[in-house]
Amino acid sequence: MEVVDQEGRTLTFSIGPQHPGSGHFRLIVKVDGDFIVDVKPDPGYVHRGAEKMCEERTYIQNIPHLERPVIFDSSGILFPYVLAVEELLGVQAPPRAQYIRIIMAELNRIISHLYWLAIYGIFLGHSTMFMWPMGDRELFIDLAEAIGGTRVTFSYFVPGGVRNDLPPGFKERALKTFSYYEKRLEEYDKIFFSNPMFLKRTQGIGVLKREDAIRLGVTGPNLRASGISSDTRKDEPYSSYETIKWDIPVRKEGDCYARSMVRFQELFDSLNIMRQALDLIPEGSVKIPMRGQIKGKVGESFARTEAARGTMFYHIISDGATHPYRVKISVPSFRSLSAMPFLLKGNHLADMPAIYWGLDYWPVEADK
Amino acid sequence: MSFFAGFFLALWAGVKQIFKHRYTLRYPEQKLDIFMINNQKSGGYEFDAKKQVGTAGFKGRHILYMDKCTGCSLCAIACEGIADCIDMVKVDKSFVQNKKSQFPQIDYGRCVFCGFCVDACPFDCLFETPFYELATTDKRSLVYTPEMLNEYPQLKGEYVKFIPDKKSGAHHG
Repeated sequence: MEVVDQEGRTLTFSIGPQHPGSGHFRLIVKVDGDFIVDVKPDPGYVHRGAEKMCEERTYIQNIPHLERPVIFDSSGILFPYVLAVEELLGVQAPPRAQYIRIIMAELNRIISHLYWLAIYGIFLGHSTMFMWPMGDRELFIDLAEAIGGTRVTFSYFVPGGVRNDLPPGFKERALKTFSYYEKRLEEYDKIFFSNPMFLKRTQGIGVLKREDAIRLGVTGPNLRASGISSDTRKDEPYSSYETIKWDIPVRKEGDCYARSMVRFQELFDSLNIMRQALDLIPEGSVKIPMRGQIKGKVGESFARTEAARGTMFYHIISDGATHPYRVKISVPSFRSLSAMPFLLKGNHLADMPAIYWGLDYWPVEADK
Repeated sequence: MSFFAGFFLALWAGVKQIFKHRYTLRYPEQKLDIFMINNQKSGGYEFDAKKQVGTAGFKGRHILYMDKCTGCSLCAIACEGIADCIDMVKVDKSFVQNKKSQFPQIDYGRCVFCGFCVDACPFDCLFETPFYELATTDKRSLVYTPEMLNEYPQLKGEYVKFIPDKKSGAHHG
């Protein structure tokens, strides 16, 4: 921590940007004793210019770059880009590819939520909850690896479908892992989510009321924890999500506990969605054959999907060349940035990690 | 649930794990067998240029079939905006299908293993293998010449399967 200035009662200092726990990001905090008076988030340390980079690369060459901002949710954040490019090309992925995309996106959601859970455990001083999700995350990474070929950055979705079919014997192996993991989630509940230590650290801390959540524009699990039943997978179904049945987990409290429990419930829901997708998956091709460079027709397109952190949005303008003319990316983490100072003000400094990581803010995604 | 009962249950959930199977992979001796379940020849990512669809597999070190490669440099063009790691270099030997003897050379210090070079190859001569142990003490030795890429990497060590078990916990074996 670096002391910036000292004036009378209050003390201003900065937390970060040297990786205080999650990514290169700085919070300029003003405290009065133990209470936070004012917070200024200072993002931008890992800005890569992803939008500008897209303008000088072809539609396919953009794929490995666009999944880098959140490597453990790489398919989730690439999803809307692929859908938007498909709209420009005037094609739609074959039904089998749509279901494989659901499986891959939900695997990535679990991998991302388990990473969040592990870091949340260590932020709240629970070392076991760091070890368990990090270990169990490997199970899902192995499944995703069997489909995508690499551990985290798969480059698996391409315009027109997915790059390869599921490997043989994938369904049996996946179902074994799911049934093992569901039993494991009950143990998570006992050791962490029902633990009095966890309840004391999160209940009633950082309350984001329904009206404030709408005003500040948070999305995804943070919005659902404030009592609003909003999920892009349900509201604007894409990629055959309309054939799958599940309930959106919603909580009314809007505190850190509610945000954690919504994400915990989403782990169950993702397993449920993947089970249904594995049953519903039809036979057929997984990709529309496309030779040579992809050229989008003149015009613009946009797509919105539900990534692990919330609504991910892509707007692509094409002038008919092999490169996009302009790509606009709207990321969910940047939206939770607006809620962060609002939630932190008036709280104890010791509650800062619980609130900060409870929002599942990912600096690299916000900076793009 | 009272305060102390909650603590006791949480402690008990942790203590119970002592009697369960571990699932630690003893890495240098043991390696995870993900792709051998496919019963594929190579276990690596392959791409069928005619059907324009790939085969599931690990995206590791490449294998280059020099007897098929025509030196069209489409793999290098595919890599241009991604990692810029493929260079076309001249080889001393002469080939019938490759008059100029131009072959791709891959710099693994830059490669991100996305496999779009494999997708770009129209002659089915560039694939990926499940070999990933490319660590070295010399940066220059990460540049793989066409001759080095032509040889299939030797997969050493014991490859174990992973079995998640509902009763006893997940384990390898």
